[in-house]
Amino acid sequence: MLLTSLSMDPLDFTARTGWTAKPQGLCQGDVCVPARGAIKVDGTLDAAVVSERLRMPLVHDEAHGLWALGPASGSKALTTAVARDPVLRDRNGDSFSLSSLRGRRTIMVAWASW
Amino acid sequence: MWQALHAGIEPLGFTVVTVALDIDPANATPWIDAAAPTHPSLIDTGHITNDLFGFVNVPMSVWIDEDGMIVRPAELALLEARVPRVLPPGTPERIVNMMTEVNKLPDVSVSYRAMIDDWVAKGSASEFVLSPDEVVERSRPYPMEHARAAACFELGQHLWRSVGDEAAVPWWRQAHRLNPDNWTYKRQAWTLVTTPEDADAPDLLQGPNDVYEGNWLDDVLAAGGGEKYYG
Repeated sequence: MLLTSLSMDPLDFTARTGWTAKPQGLCQGDVCVPARGAIKVDGTLDAAVVSERLRMPLVHDEAHGLWALGPASGSKALTTAVARDPVLRDRNGDSFSLSSLRGRRTIMVAWASW
Repeated sequence: MWQALHAGIEPLGFTVVTVALDIDPANATPWIDAAAPTHPSLIDTGHITNDLFGFVNVPMSVWIDEDGMIVRPAELALLEARVPRVLPPGTPERIVNMMTEVNKLPDVSVSYRAMIDDWVAKGSASEFVLSPDEVVERSRPYPMEHARAAACFELGQHLWRSVGDEAAVPWWRQAHRLNPDNWTYKRQAWTLVTTPEDADAPDLLQGPNDVYEGNWLDDVLAAGGGEKYYG
């Protein structure tokens, strides 16, 4: 998740990572991690605190004024079997959400031109 | 081939979704146009599905049930048998060595198609449908180094798009060092520097270059050869 400051919009954070800031901590599904200080007074999230609590690496490119918050690390690539719902675009630029296929079984295949 | 599969199973409540991991959509669109897909055919210019679903190479797939639950984590996905390639006499040694490794790549086309057929026939009762715990357990290990590689790769792809190659390369080099088993990071970056400007298609040989420490053949050999290419 790319950032131009260490303050994150909570909705952007949830959309990208699947984690949600709640009074009891940072939560995904049934799992909540205590994260005192993660929610700032202005309602934004402190990326440094989130990084430390969720073991999400925070990488800084000083020259370009950018940070990248990586995925939560730990034991496995998937922390839950609930499929994430990224919004991707087709060759015409139209957006598509995987959740629009709810009710059908899906085989999602990654390929590349390279 | 994915279009043919989709056409066959779509009436039975299944959908094939293809996702091109291509930072430059212009490289993916000719392939999509040629396939004329009737299924969702998407382009992931940020490689974000790597992190969200665990893709580390292509072609790989995940299966998702009607409730939005992953029932098979990222794995090699082949529908057509690999055909061993025979090269003519006089082929450069490096190409011969590459093809030797390519010919060792795992061929799961028969078993993968059989798994799909079983899922189609039996639904959630298929022996190939995994429980949520099994899905998580079978997904790849994801240490901090791999998460940091994902962050570095994302910085690189943003800078490649907004600034240019020189800003992106240091971050992609870091991503390659931190997660050498992620071939999408490496192959994406290599092909951008080994493809001539006037080429009609991306360079698939991805040979030695003066920008990155690795290249396809040497990295495959270092990883244990073509047999180990998908982990």
